[in-house]
Amino acid sequence: MQSQDRLRVALLVAVAIALHGFERTIPTPIPWLRFGFANIITLTAVVFYGLRVALMITLIRVFVVSLFVGTFLGPGFILSLGGGLASTIAMGGVFYLLGGLFSPLGLSLIGAFAHNLAQLFLAYLLFVRKIDAILYLSPVILVFGVLAGTVNGLASGMLIISLREEGLRVGRKAMGKEHGAQGTGR
Amino acid sequence: MSLLKKTIKETSHLNWILLVFLLFFYLTGFIFVGRLMPAGETVIVEVNGKTVYKLALSEDRIVDVKGPIGVTKVEVKDGRVRVLYSPCPEKICMKQGWIRRGVIICVPNRVVVSIKGGKVRGVDAITG
Repeated sequence: MQSQDRLRVALLVAVAIALHGFERTIPTPIPWLRFGFANIITLTAVVFYGLRVALMITLIRVFVVSLFVGTFLGPGFILSLGGGLASTIAMGGVFYLLGGLFSPLGLSLIGAFAHNLAQLFLAYLLFVRKIDAILYLSPVILVFGVLAGTVNGLASGMLIISLREEGLRVGRKAMGKEHGAQGTGR
Repeated sequence: MSLLKKTIKETSHLNWILLVFLLFFYLTGFIFVGRLMPAGETVIVEVNGKTVYKLALSEDRIVDVKGPIGVTKVEVKDGRVRVLYSPCPEKICMKQGWIRRGVIICVPNRVVVSIKGGKVRGVDAITG
């Protein structure tokens, strides 16, 4: 990784942390539901830097935010970590295996689905142990996940396009070399 | 705004098909689960997966539920139920307010309050 990339990744981490922290203050109809704005950054990182960097960003974000907010190793932390890892791996995996088949929107929807699934599974396994309670909650969570995934996917698409345009001037070598810009579109 | 337009233009049909499919699939699930869980008459309070209270929704009362981190107060009133007080840090279960159907889950204190069909007969409550 070149130093310019390192700088960019550090910036992505910072923005991811800020978004994650910020969205905690937004009220939602059911308090469990969150938008997952930080996934905009995760997805952008997947597209530009690959799965490994995206995983790194996710891990740093989850740990730092939980340490700041005071939920470290609590239930919220475990759900956050599980969901974050699942969605990052799903988005990265699909992006690698299927290349340009899905745009950021599709990747984001897949990530949101993996996120929800992992959290429901973890919630069942660790905390609730009641399959009908999970079943009752799941459509609400999944529908909300689709909405959040759509918003995040479009936002990520916009970010990727503007970074790509920026990249033409600044960091084309860094971005385009491995698996960069060509995979993002259509 | 032109950036958004550009993004939408670069998004292939496959993505929109995925979006519509997921929405359709989940909304079907929504209706299905809604049918599966009609408004019930019995409040079931569980801690760590064990039922500790079965209460009639028609009878107003407040019960103390002992969980791993403290006592959660569950209130039944006017055919609704809520978590009146919880020792958990985020108080998400309290913020959920009154429910007539479905569940309230307090993850930190491992308390699950759910409403089920079928009457509680004979006794006012079962403690375990």
